[in-house]
Amino acid sequence: MTQPFLSIRGIRKTYGQVTAVKNVSLDVAQGEFMTFLGPSGSGKSTTLYILAGFQDPTDGDILLNGQSLLSTPSHKRNIGMVFQRYTLFPHLTVGENVAFPLRIRRVGQAEIAERVKKALKLVRLEGFEDRKPALMSGGQQQRVALARALVYNPPVLLMDEPLSALDKKLREEIQFEIRRIHQETGVTILYVTHDQEEALRLSDRIAVFSQGEIDQIGTGPELYANPATHFVAGFIGDSNFINAEILSSADGKAKLSLPGGTVIDGVPMHAGKAGGKSASLLLRPERLSLSSTQVGNGLAVTINDITFLGNNIEVSTLTGSGESLSVRLPFGHEAISSISRGDQAWLSFEPKSTHAFA
Amino acid sequence: MLLDFDKLGGLKPFLIGLTVLVCLFLILPIVFIAALSFGSSQWLIFPPPSWTFKWYQMLFSDPRWLWSALTSLKIAAIVTVLSVILGFLAALGLNRGTFAGREALRALFLTPMILPVVVLAVALYALFLQLGLAGTTVGFIIAHLLIALPFSIISIGNALEGFDKSIEDAAILCGASPWEARLRVTVPAVSHGIFAAAIFSFLASWDEVVLAIFMASPTLQTLPVKIWATLRQDLTPVIAAASTILIAFTILLMVAAALFRKGRKA
Amino acid sequence: MVLSATTDGGQRSIRRNGSFGYVVPALLLIAFFFIIPVLMLLMRSVLEPTPGLQNYQELLGSTTYLRVFLNTFTVAGLVTVVAVVIGFPVAWLLAIMPDKWSRLVMAIIVLSMWTNLLARTYAWMVLLQRTGVVNKMLISLGIIDKPLALVNNLVGVTIGMTYIMLPFVILPLIGILKSIDPAILRAAALCGANKRQCFTRVLLPLSLPGIASGALMVFVMSLGYYVTPALLGGTSNMMLAELVAQFVQSLVNWGMGGAAALVLLLVTMVLYAIQLKFLNPNRVR
Ligand SMILES: Nc1ncnc2c1ncn2[C@@H]1O[C@H](COP(=O)(O)OP(=O)(O)O)[C@@H](O)[C@H]1O
Ligand SMILES: [Mg+2]
Repeated sequence: MTQPFLSIRGIRKTYGQVTAVKNVSLDVAQGEFMTFLGPSGSGKSTTLYILAGFQDPTDGDILLNGQSLLSTPSHKRNIGMVFQRYTLFPHLTVGENVAFPLRIRRVGQAEIAERVKKALKLVRLEGFEDRKPALMSGGQQQRVALARALVYNPPVLLMDEPLSALDKKLREEIQFEIRRIHQETGVTILYVTHDQEEALRLSDRIAVFSQGEIDQIGTGPELYANPATHFVAGFIGDSNFINAEILSSADGKAKLSLPGGTVIDGVPMHAGKAGGKSASLLLRPERLSLSSTQVGNGLAVTINDITFLGNNIEVSTLTGSGESLSVRLPFGHEAISSISRGDQAWLSFEPKSTHAFA
Repeated sequence: MLLDFDKLGGLKPFLIGLTVLVCLFLILPIVFIAALSFGSSQWLIFPPPSWTFKWYQMLFSDPRWLWSALTSLKIAAIVTVLSVILGFLAALGLNRGTFAGREALRALFLTPMILPVVVLAVALYALFLQLGLAGTTVGFIIAHLLIALPFSIISIGNALEGFDKSIEDAAILCGASPWEARLRVTVPAVSHGIFAAAIFSFLASWDEVVLAIFMASPTLQTLPVKIWATLRQDLTPVIAAASTILIAFTILLMVAAALFRKGRKA
Repeated sequence: MVLSATTDGGQRSIRRNGSFGYVVPALLLIAFFFIIPVLMLLMRSVLEPTPGLQNYQELLGSTTYLRVFLNTFTVAGLVTVVAVVIGFPVAWLLAIMPDKWSRLVMAIIVLSMWTNLLARTYAWMVLLQRTGVVNKMLISLGIIDKPLALVNNLVGVTIGMTYIMLPFVILPLIGILKSIDPAILRAAALCGANKRQCFTRVLLPLSLPGIASGALMVFVMSLGYYVTPALLGGTSNMMLAELVAQFVQSLVNWGMGGAAALVLLLVTMVLYAIQLKFLNPNRVR
């Protein structure tokens, strides 16, 4: 096995009574775009700050090319970072900001000018050298910050929710730029976000954070098609959960009894911490089919509401036991014309395509 | 990471050490005076050979000390009331007004605060000599009002900044007359600013020395003038006793202000 | 103005002249007892004893008075430099240390600031006298073997004034330093800057407007200070404010007194204008 490029090993961080990061381990390959995705307070920033050297971990180690980084102070780690808040030096112009890391490294005057120009070109801000940061928009400031973080060719670039202060349209525009820059430079990126769409759009792999731990690491499609935990299933993509009773389980497949008596077999089963006889069954809205006539092994529901969402239609339904399930149907689906609010209908699905979490 | 307390590294002991030294520098003279006021040495030997209350007895048995304290109190009280009233009106005008030159006027009102007091003192003294106000209570009050007023205008002005005028308008729409609305709605809403104005105005007058030296006469002396006159003769421990009482008074005021702030937050 | 239609006529007329009425009482006070007396004093400086500029010529031409100007500027400059050099690190720590500690330090600073000026000056007169605690301590530590003259000279004035001015440097600087985002310093560190470079290239430039503004304020306040120099300085080392008072009180020379007051006033106003125009840290840059 070859040595991983960047390796985070069993990181833990506590602040007095508060545990910010419980146990985080992960390997990142060179040139990879790795995203930390998770709700606010799940320990993403803390992990990144430990990488940057702003915090010392309570436990664990970080290896870059097999060498521990922990004893190296921040200013010698040679890591780039773009922050959530705007951190351009307000007393320096854009050009001086980007030149700052090079001046610290005592690079020659001519080379500085050339590299600053190149870095600003990379973020599409040529000609802005003499502006003061206060006169630039938030999106422009973050792009300068990106140029400043890349100008010294760091092996690793950290980004902590760099776009969270921007509006949706601008965010998408810069996401596209970041993706292009990643491809052009080949830099290894660790990116933090709480926005699943952003994570899916940008990343090679995603590490899903929950309460100071990584629940699952994988590509977007992997996380979507094969979530390892209830939390991941709920966080990535749209999801319905209903309670079910485990009748039997073997080889990672389970036989379940749903409320209303429907029994399904061959459901992929993910053993959770709870154990026991009850499970939570994940049903993706777009994997459910709806029929106005009874189907074998179907789930009887009442139509609660029908919402038009552009390219598809969301039907929200209620099961007999009062659980709500939403169904996503393509626009023009034949079932739509024959149902209306309050009608009885039946939901059916492939047991293979669902997941049960004990 | 110079602004992350936990990551200061070697700077941390340096900054903490210096801060401790500065704290000692700031607090020790005050502690020292309090200690000396109970010391028996006429020549202020430290540490005192023994402890005594005699300087306090001398202080309280001399009617001139008490009389000057009462004079200070009387003048400061009147100055406080006038400063708050004039300050409230002026702040209201500056805050709500639409007339031209408001900024210049605000700057003019604040000038007595930044001007060297001695210039104001000499100028007022000259005027008061001609008007026959030198050495009178009225002269004292006018002089102290001039330097107290800027504090009122700032404190009440800041409070008015944070008060939404439409609440007052709502009261007027409910049938209150403009002045009724102001007294029942605006004044309570900016009461913290008025409170701060009152405290600062009181202190400005109570502690004022320079104007007082020029305004005083042998029969009209405030406490600072009495301390000043005594100090110019010798460093008697009676002054330490008087100072200690003033310091205790300051601490009481700080505690009151802290409690008031806490009460506002709760 | 929908509202003025619903209120009475008096209210409307106040609205029309823009609430000017409210400022009239304060304005009258300032006009009669501030503007007029200061102008009258300045008039006397050019009219007494005979019309002309001879008071100013004497003031600016004689070495006695130049000595006073020199004293004033030296002391004010020294006090400013010492207060800023000591005050900046303290403000820095206070801006970032945990609240429970900073509250204690703040209480000490505020207590020293609110304590009666004469009480504080008296404390230093006692502490610094020949037989005072400071001399005794220095002797017992073996630093000196004869008591130093620490009062009745400019050393005493500088110590006493630094004591008074320190809070005026520290308190505004705390606000300035708190307004700097710590993430900017983290960014500088990741860019490769060590502690010294972070300080000289980022923290110091960012706090410089605040430092300059605080320093200028302390300098101006020190220039016109009267009480502390008069008590700690002794008669042979006079400062400008004392000179003004002396002309009026002991010499009853209103012409010279007015001239000295005008010089003090002018210097103060010019520096104050500079502060407002160039150094206001609240100004948008
Ligand atoms: N300096 C700190 N002191 C105390 N608790 C902290 C500190 N920094 C972070 N935490 C706590 O650690 C947890 C994780 O925080 P963070 O890593 O910032 O989460 P995220 O970036 O995923 O939103 C949160 O509960 C937060 O309150
Ligand atoms: Mg975060």
